[in-house]
Amino acid sequence: MNTAVVIRPKDYKSATKPVWCPGCGDFGVLNALTKTLAGLALAPAQVAVVSGIGCSSRLPAYTSVYGFHGVHGRALPVATGLAVARPDLTVIATGGDGDGFSIGGNHFLHACRRNVNLTYLVMDNAVYGMTKGQASPTSAADWAGSKLTPDGTGIAAFRPLEIALSAGAGFIARGFSGDPNALAGLLAEAIEYPGFAFLQVLSPCITYRPEQMEYKALVAAGFEPLADRNAAFRRLLTDDGFTTGLLYRAPVAAGGSALATAATPDDTASLAGIAREFTAARLHAANEHES
Amino acid sequence: MSPEAHAGASVALFLAHAVTLEEEAAERYDELADTMAVHHNEVAALFRRMAGYSRLHRDEALGRAAAEGDALPALRPWEFAWPSPESPESAALEYTHYLMDAHQALTLALAAERQAQAFYQQVADTTADSRVRALAGEFAEEEAEHARLLEDWLARHPPTPAQPKDDLDPPVAVD
Repeated sequence: MNTAVVIRPKDYKSATKPVWCPGCGDFGVLNALTKTLAGLALAPAQVAVVSGIGCSSRLPAYTSVYGFHGVHGRALPVATGLAVARPDLTVIATGGDGDGFSIGGNHFLHACRRNVNLTYLVMDNAVYGMTKGQASPTSAADWAGSKLTPDGTGIAAFRPLEIALSAGAGFIARGFSGDPNALAGLLAEAIEYPGFAFLQVLSPCITYRPEQMEYKALVAAGFEPLADRNAAFRRLLTDDGFTTGLLYRAPVAAGGSALATAATPDDTASLAGIAREFTAARLHAANEHES
Repeated sequence: MSPEAHAGASVALFLAHAVTLEEEAAERYDELADTMAVHHNEVAALFRRMAGYSRLHRDEALGRAAAEGDALPALRPWEFAWPSPESPESAALEYTHYLMDAHQALTLALAAERQAQAFYQQVADTTADSRVRALAGEFAEEEAEHARLLEDWLARHPPTPAQPKDDLDPPVAVD
């Protein structure tokens, strides 16, 4: 029990009202995020939320913390740069399954590898909602709800947790927008993990995937936190896609630092100095190429 | 509170739950009102009114806490012991729609009020603390009164006959 919490969840919401469809799961994610920030008593000026493009990527505008609504699929590069340049900030990248796993899929892989200290929260509804309902990377191969793919895509769905584990993410969890209190607890753990933390959130799109209204009956907590990567892989072999909780948390090195968290940069460097270094590096590369 | 959690709860812990239950109910109703206002749906006013009622109830719980003289414990969101994923009076987001009518909105609110009543009644029935029992019983009766009020309103707003909604931007006809 924490007796020092003084900031309320609603203090982290901006005056901008969400334009999400009523019933959208992203409301639950926004509520979970603001509850988490309040629960951790993080000052709004010490938090930055970075997003790409899509319905869920509108989230930064609805918070009172620093935000950056960027380019499609590019939330992670921006968030990574921010986390490296300002390691004192709590950096949270957000977006949807299309933004993160398709357009930004390559960035996802390498963010898992780099293990920079940030949290990546993906609101997964298995559809491109903003562009009116096309199949996304996490749509089932036989989902035929779009006229563009009347027989389904025929392509196996992207499996975010397996990919994250393969690529080296140290913190991997799944939550549900319909359980914002449990999601807030998971998100708090992700934020406090000293490295790259990936959190997939099942967030129903009631407009283009109305069948997802049944998620409440399908989702169940079931992951037991594992520290062994092999065991986590084996657990995923029987994953039904609706099990929530913390799947994997890599051991943190002695001293509390993450396994491969970027070193704190030299914040005394001048822009001119950086430009000189860059020029020297280019000259060196050119000389090597000629020789 | 879950059945195993509230049997030994103190008055302060119970009131912390009651205040948060009402606060979150009000915020959810406000959230629903905002989303309906964005879509020019007149049920926004109804949700706004419900938010006002919840805030009145929250203020009452805060008043009781002040009268008891105990500081309420500051719980983190994941430390509350609710019988459901969300606090019991939070109206179910997933059953809203931008074209919902007054009957549907009232039905949604009625379900939330009944959940709150059930929560308070469960606490009253299982607590070992006589003061918690009295407070929870009183709050349960107030929620029951809200539910009766909503039932009256529902009688005055019967279901809209099944008909195609005048949706100028149907979501599934664009591809």
